[in-house]
Amino acid sequence: MLTIYRPGTGPWHRMPAGPKALALLLLVFGVSLLPSAWPAAAVAAGACVACYLIPGVGMAELGRQVWALRWLVVVAFGLPCIFLGVEAAAVGTVRIVAAVSLAALLALTTPVAALLDVVERASAPLRVLGVDGARVALLLVVALGTVPTLARLAREVRDAQRARGARGIRVFVVPFLVLALRHADDLGDALTARGVR
Amino acid sequence: MTSAVRLAAVSVRLADADVLHDVDLAFDARTVAVVGDNGSGKSTLARLIGGLVRPTRGSVEVFGLDSVRDAAALRRRTAIVFSNPDAQIVMPTVAEDVAFSLRADRLSRAERDARVATALEEFGLADLADRPAFELSGGQKQLLALCGAFVRRPDIVIADEPTAFLDGRNAHIVSGHLLGDVGHRLVVVTHDLDLAARCDIAIRMQAGRVAQVGAAADVVAAHSASWRC
Repeated sequence: MLTIYRPGTGPWHRMPAGPKALALLLLVFGVSLLPSAWPAAAVAAGACVACYLIPGVGMAELGRQVWALRWLVVVAFGLPCIFLGVEAAAVGTVRIVAAVSLAALLALTTPVAALLDVVERASAPLRVLGVDGARVALLLVVALGTVPTLARLAREVRDAQRARGARGIRVFVVPFLVLALRHADDLGDALTARGVR
Repeated sequence: MTSAVRLAAVSVRLADADVLHDVDLAFDARTVAVVGDNGSGKSTLARLIGGLVRPTRGSVEVFGLDSVRDAAALRRRTAIVFSNPDAQIVMPTVAEDVAFSLRADRLSRAERDARVATALEEFGLADLADRPAFELSGGQKQLLALCGAFVRRPDIVIADEPTAFLDGRNAHIVSGHLLGDVGHRLVVVTHDLDLAARCDIAIRMQAGRVAQVGAAADVVAAHSASWRC
């Protein structure tokens, strides 16, 4: 299961998940709608730094988030720089990085169980359309949880093929698919066994 | 007297293959081991009792509940543990994964947290509560799977080769939790004959049929003899 939650007791951690999600959503929208001018970049960066300076998160965490976005930065700055100029590209990139880092604050300071409750509550109005909020939330968790498991399965298949001197995508795909489908079966049984219908 | 688990003329056909044939079985023992060769129908028998597999013919009753008609009620009283703990872990951290088992119970947050803390303590996982679950060792993951099963306080625990991927020390710890007298019944499918021999009774499966039911020591001895001769 992928997790970026960092346990803590700061104000972000103590804030209830629902209002925190709403506040960060508004901040992300605000940053996204800023104009393409240097002062806007300063405002976006300032808002982001201010949020991370609140005790319990810290600038080191902001650094990790920005570093994780390095390839996005290259793409977001590189292409617009050619067509729109340095100012528009730089401001746009700062806005994107600030928005993603602000959004990450939710996952960094909220346990997944609380996020699940938020998703469940937020999707409650969709019940009239036949959407089951609990299932939507569970789907998100299971999808996230499957990523490292599939990565491990892929590594095991690659190692097994290497040990037998086999190479190529074809010899990888078949056993990987078989293992992935078996994992899906096992996971389904385990969820049923744990009371998920 | 009514048996806790009763199978009447049960057959199961999966993917065009007969997996169980006309199984008649009734037992009331607290701990029951199911032994047999690979493909003999052990896991299917366990999944039948847990309500994960429907009988093609016949009926399965656990505590008087029909495994098809009363499936939801049966699942509330049953916990199932599988051999591969990776497939059983759903939530990102250890404590959250244990709490996930209680989501359907709609407990208050305080009660849920207290139950989780007690269970983590019992299984020696309290210090790992906030650790990402996928970073645990194989033994710790299986203990987490057990903890997630036991926190629901089930009346019956069904374990399908729970020690298959574990070293001797972890297998011993897991067996201790399974066999511990904490008010639950146990049906354990296993190739671990030491674990099987510690149960009250054992069932030996052979080619989809029940070959023997009796005192665990006798059944285990007969099973060992069957592949030694």
